[in-house]
Amino acid sequence: MACRAAGVAASNAGLLLACGALAAAIGAALVGGGPVTAQQPAQESYGISMHTFTDSRGVTVLSPTGELNRDFTTRTGLRASFGVDAISAASDSCVRCHPDGANNARAYVNASLFRKYGDTKVSVGGEYSREAFYSATTGSTSISRTLNQANTTIAGGYAFSLNRPVLHPSDEDVERQYAHSAFATITQTVTKTTAVQVGYETSRITGYQNNPFLRATVDGLRMLGNHPEHRLRHSLTAKVRQALPGSTYIEADFRRYTDDWQVRANTWSAGLAHEFGPRLTLAGSYRRHEQTGASFYQPVYTGQPEFFTADFRIFPFDADLYTGRLNVTPKQGLLAFREGTSLTLQYEYYRNTTKFQAATFTAAIRVPLTR
Amino acid sequence: MTRAVRLALLMMVLAASSLVTACATVQPWQRGRLASPCMQFSPDGELAAFASHWQESREGAAGGNGLQGGGCGCK
Repeated sequence: MACRAAGVAASNAGLLLACGALAAAIGAALVGGGPVTAQQPAQESYGISMHTFTDSRGVTVLSPTGELNRDFTTRTGLRASFGVDAISAASDSCVRCHPDGANNARAYVNASLFRKYGDTKVSVGGEYSREAFYSATTGSTSISRTLNQANTTIAGGYAFSLNRPVLHPSDEDVERQYAHSAFATITQTVTKTTAVQVGYETSRITGYQNNPFLRATVDGLRMLGNHPEHRLRHSLTAKVRQALPGSTYIEADFRRYTDDWQVRANTWSAGLAHEFGPRLTLAGSYRRHEQTGASFYQPVYTGQPEFFTADFRIFPFDADLYTGRLNVTPKQGLLAFREGTSLTLQYEYYRNTTKFQAATFTAAIRVPLTR
Repeated sequence: MTRAVRLALLMMVLAASSLVTACATVQPWQRGRLASPCMQFSPDGELAAFASHWQESREGAAGGNGLQGGGCGCK
């Protein structure tokens, strides 16, 4: 119960901080202009979403979120979102010590300001999140430029995160982790019906990277893992969008991931969408993920290994993800919301070869700010 | 070289070739199909953010969806 109380208290404090940060970001946007994001929605709107997640370990997460896309001038705008993840029976690693489960909550807020300079867009933004035993603060900036009569877009960005995991069960031992990440993409319109995007992203993480909740078996003893304090990650992506005759669209994405912990992963996805008129779209997709384990991964350790882990994220496994999505925009608006409001319903089913399964369901409403 | 890597390289080469040969520009009045939300690379920020968040809490690979946030303590 102490764990739960601490979690709730921390999450409340995080929520207050998050709301404060959001207010500050919006205030800053209202006062002055500022730079902005490379990927902006075309329409001013606000959105409300409810995400649910449940998995085969008995974990349930409810995540209400809110989003705002606002243009202050033809050149300057704001994108902000906030949300809460309310987590019950927080994972098997918690249940090991808390047989009745241990609730948690994570609150986050992020905002970015953008400004256009001719064909160039610049953005700056930030995110803050806090939960019972973890907090993260991120600052980011990005720039994009359209070329070739808007048939080509090049974009790049940089982000820095300071993450502070708490070494549970202690509430006072706080570690630090630093993450620098950068990306570059080229998006190209190839024909009237084809667009492609290639991208590269890298991140360098230093500091504490162990998992304070999971224990590996070393010489028959259960011990917290010990991970290297440096990790360099790379991902290369290629994405294709193709419009077919009859309001049908296909998409195909690929990501090749490598890092210096020797995790290698190939992730493929393919999807099909069809527009049944201007107000109804149905879409489905399949994603396949295959990854190797980290170089120091072993099911059981013997002797005195320098590094060892029980973190399932760096185990070798394959995973499948199935997604179905419906988007509808009623002609007369939706409920009390104005004309142009859209409703999105999405279901996902995920399973991997570590006998883990999960399902998510999302209901999202997006309301235009202007008619 | 594994089959997956060969396919990945082939896909990259095809994508790069598309960029190189894309000098025949598509005019603004020819972009009706391209403007569809189904043709966007990140059509819905909130859905994409939620998906990448829970996937990264289960998988060791990350990236390819724009700048990364600070992660979470999800275990």
